Amino acid sequence: MIPSIVSPLHEGKVITIRNLKYVYEGGVTALVEVSLDFKRGEYAAIVGGNGSGKTTLAKTLNGLLRPTSGQVLIEERDASQMTVAELAKTVGYAFQNPDHQLFCSSVEEEIRFGPQNLGYPEDEVRKNVDRAVEAMALGKLRAVAPLSLRLGERRRVSIASVIAMNPEVLILDEPSTGLDNEETEELMAKLKVLNDEGKTIILITHDMRLVADHAKRVIVLSQGRVLLDSDPRGAFSDLDLLRQSNLQPPAVTQLAHRLVERGIPKDIISPQELVFQVLRAGGIK
Amino acid sequence: MAEPSIEPEGRPALAQSKPAKFVSPKVVAVYGVLTALTAAVTYASYTPFSPTKGYFNLGESMVFFSALAFGWRAGMICGGIGSAAADILLGSGIYAPITLVAKGAEGYVAGVIGRLRGGQLWAVVAGIAVGGLCMITTYFVGELLVLNVGLGKALAEVPINVAQVVLGGTIGALLSYYVKRSYPSLAAA
Amino acid sequence: MTGGFVDLFTPADTFLHRLDPRVKIIAVLLLSVLAFILSNLDSLLLLLGFIFLLLFLARATLSRTLFALKFVVRFMVLIVVLWPLFDPSGTPVLAELGPVKITEPAIWRGVTSAVRVGCLATVWYILMFTTSQRDLVRALVKLGLRFDYGLTLAISLRFLPTFGVLIESIKDAQRARGLELSKGGLVRRSKNYVAVLVPTIVSALRTADTLSLALQSRAYGARADRTYLRELSMRPADYVALTVLVALLVLPAVAKFLLHVQI
Ligand SMILES: Nc1ncnc2c1ncn2[C@@H]1O[C@H](COP(=O)(O)OP(=O)(O)OP(=O)(O)O)[C@@H](O)[C@H]1O
Ligand SMILES: [Mg+2]
Repeated sequence: MIPSIVSPLHEGKVITIRNLKYVYEGGVTALVEVSLDFKRGEYAAIVGGNGSGKTTLAKTLNGLLRPTSGQVLIEERDASQMTVAELAKTVGYAFQNPDHQLFCSSVEEEIRFGPQNLGYPEDEVRKNVDRAVEAMALGKLRAVAPLSLRLGERRRVSIASVIAMNPEVLILDEPSTGLDNEETEELMAKLKVLNDEGKTIILITHDMRLVADHAKRVIVLSQGRVLLDSDPRGAFSDLDLLRQSNLQPPAVTQLAHRLVERGIPKDIISPQELVFQVLRAGGIK
Repeated sequence: MAEPSIEPEGRPALAQSKPAKFVSPKVVAVYGVLTALTAAVTYASYTPFSPTKGYFNLGESMVFFSALAFGWRAGMICGGIGSAAADILLGSGIYAPITLVAKGAEGYVAGVIGRLRGGQLWAVVAGIAVGGLCMITTYFVGELLVLNVGLGKALAEVPINVAQVVLGGTIGALLSYYVKRSYPSLAAA
Repeated sequence: MTGGFVDLFTPADTFLHRLDPRVKIIAVLLLSVLAFILSNLDSLLLLLGFIFLLLFLARATLSRTLFALKFVVRFMVLIVVLWPLFDPSGTPVLAELGPVKITEPAIWRGVTSAVRVGCLATVWYILMFTTSQRDLVRALVKLGLRFDYGLTLAISLRFLPTFGVLIESIKDAQRARGLELSKGGLVRRSKNYVAVLVPTIVSALRTADTLSLALQSRAYGARADRTYLRELSMRPADYVALTVLVALLVLPAVAKFLLHVQI
């Protein structure tokens, strides 16, 4: 066989999903016919109401769930041929509840756990741990017991423990649950840095404001199907579609929609923009 | 865990003659949860997708954990009832009475011996060994004399139970050590 | 999501479902004693037949019963296979291999014991199949279990499925960090399980903290003679069933111990 050369067409794709279907044992069809691509360095958000299949989709990407039919390619390799541990080197998945991952007596040990499991040599483990500690600003907490930390800190530890495996793609399931605004913004700023360094970020969330502020691509799931795949601006201009998938657009977008007859465009996603448009329209009388 | 029973204020006169000597809500909650955990872990290690694939029953480790971390009363009640409940749920309800005695005794002994001198290593090992011995003996005698299943079946169980105690004891001891370290408020409980 | 849990209780409107749970618990005890009194294979098969009739009346299908009793069926097979190997008494001898002697009566003794185990298991199964957990706990309290113990039991039954799901989820969470549970020797494996069980225990104990607050805020323990919204009450049918059951036990017991009939 001729050694296959990565075709330029595929270059830059980390994840390719083709006609993915997933049916749970009890008979619930969680994913119907999903086809998606994720490019290297992308910042995407997967949104959808409760039970729309977001977590199921994420779990098929790192092998925790095996597709009922269809295909998942991770860096051109068929995911069904790889173990969860192998996939973890490319696709990192931070669970919704950090307490499901934390068990060590110090933050440092906790972060070492992943890379050690993957059998990285010691100097590389140390390097990865340092990088993860820095990325999540945990330097002062290295020796502290993770379970005695606040929720925001625990979440950062659990994300760091995934980053330490040095995955190309980082999937975060509802990372803002239980965090206040400030903590959320702090976390988002750290994710932005990672994204700028070239990591692919996939955010799973209900929080549309988070999506509007940070993601560059929005994938709307509803009942196991991709309803929409566009930039946040496009996603929010169709209110009916969002309602259909039980999502609330950010308040500022809802306001813009109310102001349509006054010449305000529908695709507004930030307060600054709205103010600008309102001023341009000559204010609201 | 010797929680004082709560003395509710303003109890109605009607109940005055019959003082409510209840265990505290905290004990009810912790024991209920530990019992459920023991049963759930036992049950989970029997499912076809369990990591132990039915070779080992991780429930043993929860019996030892309850005993070592919370004392003999928790070991006996949660270990005994939790394991018996798992038997019933797994459809082996006939074993439930023997299990109740066997695992209850195991938890009791492990809790008493295992926490001697503040739970030093030798005490923990001795507690697990003697507790395990009680469990194995109870099953053997119970199967042979009560259920009358014959010497063959009763003997066949012994090596499995020995392996169970070694593995469950190791994990249970590690668990009580790790949980106390990573969740310090437990030590205070 | 049930976390793979099979609650054996299956709601239906049959005579056995409507029976007072106290009567059912007593019935399980009486029938179990009966199974121990009987020592003839024929009478045990008769009892098994009666129990299967009850199973049929409760609308339990055979396939579901066998599935639920899969471990018991395995025990029964083991008993039959292993019994003759350790019981060389009786004639005729069917096979002899060194110290091991297989005799025909030993085989029948093994079968008898297996059938008894089958009876006991099926009786338990009928109880669990026809009675909800709530009714079971309530009946135990009415039969004399202290209320606070009953509450503890109810709490543990309530959280069982929750923890089943929790364990599965934590297993996944650690696998996503490269943990391979079925790899390595004894020590390595034990440590692997620790990575799953520590978060499970910690999450469960957090649940217990919340729960104890909830109990306090609902004035748990305020009075010993608490009442229930739905009281259990014995109806005529319950008394009839109880009488039949007692007769079912007393007759064979009298026959065996007073009249010395081999049954
Ligand atoms: N282990 C399971 N067994 C059976 N069905 C399941 C299981 N996990 C999820 N489901 C079902 O699959 C569907 C999709 O669930 P999923 O968890 O992927 O949704 P989600 O979008 O992540 O929801 P949420 O926003 O609540 O996290 C739901 O209908 C859910 O009930
Ligand atoms: Mg989800």
